[in-house]
Amino acid sequence: MAITSIIQSGPGAGVLLTNTNRFDDLLNLARKNSIHYLLFGLACCGIELMQTGGPRADLDRFAAVFRASPRQADLMIVAGTLSYKMAERTKLLYDQMAEPKYVLAMGSCANCGGLFQSSYAVVKGVDKIIPVDVYVPGCPPRPEALTEGLMRIQDIIMSERWWREKRRPQSGAK
Amino acid sequence: MGFQFGAVLIFAVVAVLFALVALLVGAIFRPRFPNADKVSIYECGERPVGAAWYNFNPRFYLIALAFVIFEVDIALTFPVVVVYADWTKKGNGWIALTELVLFTIILLIGLIWAWAHGDLEWVKKLSAADKPAGSEANRG
Amino acid sequence: MNAQEIHSKLKAQFGDAVGDLAEAKIDPFVMVKSDKIVEICRFAKDEAGLDFNYCEDVTGIDWPARNVIEVVYHLFSLQQRHQFVLKVEADRSQPSVPSVQGVWKAANWLEREVYDMLGVSFVGHPDMRRILLPDDWVGHPLRKDYQEAGGYHGVTNTRPDPLVKLGQKVEEERKAIAAAAPPPVATPATATPSGGFGTDSPPHQPPRASHAPVAATNTAPASVSATATAPAPATAPAPDKKESPNG
Repeated sequence: MAITSIIQSGPGAGVLLTNTNRFDDLLNLARKNSIHYLLFGLACCGIELMQTGGPRADLDRFAAVFRASPRQADLMIVAGTLSYKMAERTKLLYDQMAEPKYVLAMGSCANCGGLFQSSYAVVKGVDKIIPVDVYVPGCPPRPEALTEGLMRIQDIIMSERWWREKRRPQSGAK
Repeated sequence: MGFQFGAVLIFAVVAVLFALVALLVGAIFRPRFPNADKVSIYECGERPVGAAWYNFNPRFYLIALAFVIFEVDIALTFPVVVVYADWTKKGNGWIALTELVLFTIILLIGLIWAWAHGDLEWVKKLSAADKPAGSEANRG
Repeated sequence: MNAQEIHSKLKAQFGDAVGDLAEAKIDPFVMVKSDKIVEICRFAKDEAGLDFNYCEDVTGIDWPARNVIEVVYHLFSLQQRHQFVLKVEADRSQPSVPSVQGVWKAANWLEREVYDMLGVSFVGHPDMRRILLPDDWVGHPLRKDYQEAGGYHGVTNTRPDPLVKLGQKVEEERKAIAAAAPPPVATPATATPSGGFGTDSPPHQPPRASHAPVAATNTAPASVSATATAPAPATAPAPDKKESPNG
């Protein structure tokens, strides 16, 4: 029995993603309800990330807990400005995460460099070095916005097919 | 009584299977794409410098040895404690106490000897004979 | 002690090496000869009345017109609660200043920062390397003539502005609509390019005249997707098709 997932991905457009079977749904249900995110607060968005994990806008109700090590994380929330010095470490940490892994770019600086467009030392967007699944705009995004970003990641997870994920390695960045 | 042993056996088997099946299910269902960067040592994003294995300082061994000896001392004290009440009732409490104290004193003498010998020092000083050859001449 | 007294004490001790007290824009400062800076700093720290035991900051200013780089020392005394500023000039082509990290350990990292940003090398510093930027960075960014290298280790330094491409797309669509539209309908559209609410459009055409420019500029993404899915014949049904994905 096939279950189709529909995600509202833009202003008004409904996008049909994929057909998943019951087994995929079971696996994906388990995966999406236990997302361990890598604590990667680089700047001010890190404070909002902490607050989103805090009691008021609780990420723990999604069973999403922070892990300090990339070996135990499946989501990397890049929260803050990425400098060139940090970019190398970020790439290595992303590489050290085990599949299946996802990246959420939080805040303007992670999306596109933010307000530091004329800076010599800021990477203009974390997707210059790692592939990003969800972009959460804001400076900083409110905890509710980050929670919605996490729910979008959950939607992505629900729409994946197990066999395809197992066979296809994650590709590099653009 | 045989049935209770069977229960323990089943318990042990289920415990082992619990862990093994969980790991097996994970191994079957997870993707596996190792590459050089992924299996590199985790050092908070930095590339590790030097080797991970190095010579261990033997002072840990000495402290652990002293600990193990006294741990065995404690382990052998427990049976004495269990029968001590009965012995006291029979009037032999003094014998048990003397033997126990003697046992502990023998081990304590060994500890005091190790202490006086400097084996329990955490930061060890080099004696004059052991100092590296060139350093004294360079400082002169 | 106020700035005058501190200055006179320094002048009394070091004579010509200490310049005049300059007019205070923010802090009054004294220009000092660079070869005497270590002695002056040690005197400022050890002398009984001065007691400058806290090196607040060491920064630099690049003056390409005067061909110098000034190194600025902000000193503070925790006991006496007075502060002072010393300045040293270094030649811009080969900037080199004696290091004061022997006087205050805090100056160790502060001087590394001045080296990193301005290229001033500090003689006698035990660890003269970059502190903020990666070790293999080329150039000193706070110099006025610093040119960015365009990237670092293969990551480029610019990002294409999405609004530029979007503006071009919107312009092309407007041209297509205007070209395919019958002339009377096109005129009010081109006459009111910036949103024709309440302007001189004929009463039976307000939806067309007011929505076409507004939809093109304000809600551009909707029009982009609308034209992608339903190529508009540029008559009355067109605004409805444009509005439906929005609704």
